[in-house]
Amino acid sequence: MSRTIGRRDFIKTSAGAGLTLAMGKALAASTGAAKAKAPVVAVGVGDDYGKSAVRAVDLLGGIRKFVRKGSKVALLPNVQSRHPGSFTKPEILRAVIRLCKKAGASEIDCLSWQTEKQWEDTGLKAVIESEGTGLKIFERDESLFKPVPIPDGIALKEARVLAALFDHDALINMPITKDHAGNKFTGTLKNLMGLNSPANNRAFHRPNWKTDPDDVAHLDQCIVDLNKAVVPALNIVDATEFIVSNGPFGPGQLFRPRRVVAGTDRVAVDAYCAALWGLKPEEIVQIKRAAEQGLGQIDPNKAVLREAAVV
Amino acid sequence: MSATRRRRAAIALTVFLAACARAVPAGPGQETLEALLPADGAAPGWSKDGEPQSFAGEDLYTYINGGAEIYQEYGFRRVVVQDYKSAAGKSLSLEIFEMETPAAAFGMFTFKRSGQGRDVPLGAGAELEAYYLNFWKGRYLATLTGFDESAETVASLLAVGGRVEAMIPDKGDPPPLVASLPAQGLKPGTVKYLRGLLGLNNVYAFPSAHGLAFAAAVKGDYGEGSFLVVMDYGSGAARETAWAELREALEGSDRFEKARASTAQVMLFRDPKGRFAAFSPSGARIVFAVSSDPSVSLVLVAQSR
Repeated sequence: MSRTIGRRDFIKTSAGAGLTLAMGKALAASTGAAKAKAPVVAVGVGDDYGKSAVRAVDLLGGIRKFVRKGSKVALLPNVQSRHPGSFTKPEILRAVIRLCKKAGASEIDCLSWQTEKQWEDTGLKAVIESEGTGLKIFERDESLFKPVPIPDGIALKEARVLAALFDHDALINMPITKDHAGNKFTGTLKNLMGLNSPANNRAFHRPNWKTDPDDVAHLDQCIVDLNKAVVPALNIVDATEFIVSNGPFGPGQLFRPRRVVAGTDRVAVDAYCAALWGLKPEEIVQIKRAAEQGLGQIDPNKAVLREAAVV
Repeated sequence: MSATRRRRAAIALTVFLAACARAVPAGPGQETLEALLPADGAAPGWSKDGEPQSFAGEDLYTYINGGAEIYQEYGFRRVVVQDYKSAAGKSLSLEIFEMETPAAAFGMFTFKRSGQGRDVPLGAGAELEAYYLNFWKGRYLATLTGFDESAETVASLLAVGGRVEAMIPDKGDPPPLVASLPAQGLKPGTVKYLRGLLGLNNVYAFPSAHGLAFAAAVKGDYGEGSFLVVMDYGSGAARETAWAELREALEGSDRFEKARASTAQVMLFRDPKGRFAAFSPSGARIVFAVSSDPSVSLVLVAQSR
């Protein structure tokens, strides 16, 4: 079921501020997460993209590692446009919803401040409706976004994240990897801008679209900082077929590696995805900086790669 | 004031405002973009699917979240989007972007084209790729997207695109700066016209933006992996300042290694990817060329000075 939620509705339905704050702390758990253990990048490869998503999650140890019975799960697919290769495939969303149901999630919601038309055009709304789960579309009203301080933020000291996120126990980040005109690459890190308020996202860019000569990487650093404030429980990336030019909106040239990539380490997952289409992760500023600032592992030799073909 | 007098005053005010509105002439650009949308039957069996959507100025973010910046850098006014459907159940999306100037439309066209599609005779320039078509004419850029690569869909893109093109009166010419690229060896379809750092960043990664406040730039590919960029600063004085800033930024960067072949008029650096980047000032312009072969970089720069 989908509904557009304004400020008045949200205040009525939202949990109390104390609970919201507590959940906020849980979601934004420590990012000094340069974990001693090598991160796993799990990949399902094949023409059945839904099965590939399930396989990738299985290779990580199964959905129950990330979704507890009775928990509320927020999903964040990319709903950019209806142009081919610019949005998360509906069959991947369907597979992930079913995985969450299988794990016993009590509530599964896609959260968004983008338009309902985008959800319709991409076919994602139809999947949500047919699965009987939630699509919560919020108005672009700043009061619907919760300020989240980022003490170790370098360019961004405060994010403004959809407050409804903090009514959920886990976030599954579901981008499509693709080209981006601003910083060459979209993946798990960039996708979180879909939860941050449009007004705050606007601050990721300098006034009048000018670049500060001493801060050419302002956008990339803001993305990294945002990722310090929000930590998904799991990332599942559509790398099945995506645009490698004219991103993020398209239309652009399509590349078809037929992969769904999953992992908890956003840097390792993005590094894998970037390499898929010939980019060097260390040349993608957001990935490089995220690694340098302790968000994950950029060196493929220090990550565990598990790939499996799906037939 | 009585209710009757208030009503009369309100009517008078309404009439006055309506007259004022009529008195404003509909100059160029005041007409609605919807007027450029082809009617049903633009291609055999195709009709409009739903209502058009329009976005202007900063509202482009509502439509192209995360991707509107490059349009703004070139100079964006508004866009109209209309879907079409065929009797056979196929779908097509038409976007008509009105940019601030023909140069902005040309620039956005060059930014969006891959150079690997097929040139088609439409507007002032057009490229047909596997499932989509871009063309520009005047200050307009049209993007038509099919959702498969079938011959029927591609034919429909061209038919609908042709109808749009016919409704745009002014053709427009590429900016004169494009002619500064040497014709010899220039790879077809590779010209990119740039208006700012976002576009430039997609061409080449500089360590900082110092010295890169150009008014416009143009890039073209020459041979395998080699390209030339001409940046225009508008005046010799502005260029002089930029040259000093650029030199300082490159020489101070630990990612760029200055090569011995550098002279007062040509700086040659080895960049972080191991390629050779040659820079040289010329009048109001700075030219730079990048190649894995330093002699190619130097020759390209010399040819364009």
